[in-house]
Order: sequence, then structure tokens, then C-alpha cells
Amino acid sequence: MKVAYIFATSRHTVSYVLAKMILPQLEENRHGVDVVGMFFFEDNNYVLMKGNPTGERLHKVAKKTGMLLMGCDQCCYEREIADKLLEGVPIGCFPDLYKALSGNMPDQVITL
Amino acid sequence: MACESACCGNAPRRVVSDLFDRGYRRNRLAPFAVQGATLRDANDLTASFSLDIADDTVRDIRFQVSTCITLIAYSELIVELAAAKGARAAAVLSESDLVSALPDVPLLKRDRAVLAINAFRAALKAAFISQTGEAA
Repeated sequence: MKVAYIFATSRHTVSYVLAKMILPQLEENRHGVDVVGMFFFEDNNYVLMKGNPTGERLHKVAKKTGMLLMGCDQCCYEREIADKLLEGVPIGCFPDLYKALSGNMPDQVITL
Repeated sequence: MACESACCGNAPRRVVSDLFDRGYRRNRLAPFAVQGATLRDANDLTASFSLDIADDTVRDIRFQVSTCITLIAYSELIVELAAAKGARAAAVLSESDLVSALPDVPLLKRDRAVLAINAFRAALKAAFISQTGEAA
């Protein structure tokens, strides 16, 4: 099964669920599904900044597996980090997300 | 010149996020009488501008564009750079002016500047035709 994650809430979503559960499992090839994309809203976009330890690890996995990483464009502009993201990580809105995923559509979209 | 950085609080700033906030409201206003053609780009985004123009001066500008953050920000930037200028001075505005004014827009999104400026020029052309009866 293929899934996409949307990180919409800002509690332990990135620092715990992503960094301590999903990401290590992806690195160990035992997450159980193919993650084809991750989309980040609000403060969760800070994980996509160059130099962020979790982001750098995520970026490495994405380059290896072809997983899409995308930040919400308005969220990134608002935080003035749109030009400070990891190399090749795009920003966009829903049309951009659907277009980017269209060649590798997930079976489930999971909002965290 | 006033500081436009985040340190200076609520002063209007020319950054994408603030331009979008101002442009979002303008995007919902009814167009002025002099209206340019609606242009569409390869991303299926559309843009049209309308002008309040008198005595060869662009008194005010409105636009109706697709809901894309970057496109609305570039369109609002055109308004702020070109309003109250003479039509010929406004026509000199280019996509490179927009791109250089907002350097944090990623490369993949900068094509919105081309759509916005072409739509604005279409409105200037419509204004010229309505005033002279001739194509520019």
C-alpha cells in the first residue's frame, strides 16, 4: 500500500511522530507501507529547513526512495523560510501537491 | 526609507506573505471599467487586470487572478509599484523587477511574474485602445 502523510497539527507531530517513529522506520525499511509523499503545514515546515537534523535525515530517505517532500507555500512565505529549504524541496498549494503525486498516487492520505 | 523587515512590526512590508494578505482582498473587488484580456498560463492559472486611468495617469489598479499565493503577491506588487504613475512609466515595469523584488520566491514559482506582468500590460493596452481607438 502507498500512503502520503499530511502534517497539519503542531504538537508532537514532527518532533515525535515523524522524528522518532516514522523516520527511523523508513530508514530501517520496516515502516510497512510505501510513503510516496509528505506535505507540511504551519510550523511543521521548519523541519524542511537546511541544517535541520530531522529534515536532513528525511531528505536522505526521500532521495533514496523518490518520496515527495513539499512545504505549504503560504506557510513558508509567512515564516520567511521559502528560500531556506533543503535542496530541491518544493513549496506549493494543493494543486501542486496533487500534480506532484499524480504519477505515483497514494492509496491513503493520512493527516497527522 | 522605512525598514521593511520583521523587526519593525506592523509596517507594510513588501514580502510575499504580506503582499498576499493585501492582494487577497483586492482580488475580490469588482474590476474597473478598463479591463485587459484574461490570460492563462501553462499551469492553468489565469490573470486579468483593470485600471482606473485618467489624464494618462494610472490612478488605481485591480486584478482578478487565480488563487495562487505567489501570483497574488506578484499582482499586488504590480499595483504598489505602478499605481499613481503615468501609463508609460507603468508599462516599463517588467517581470525581472518583480522577481528581484521578491528574492525568496523559489525558481519554480517565478513564472507567475510573467503571467502577472503580461496581464497588466494587456490592461494598459486596453486603456490605450479605449483612449485612442488604436492598438498600442
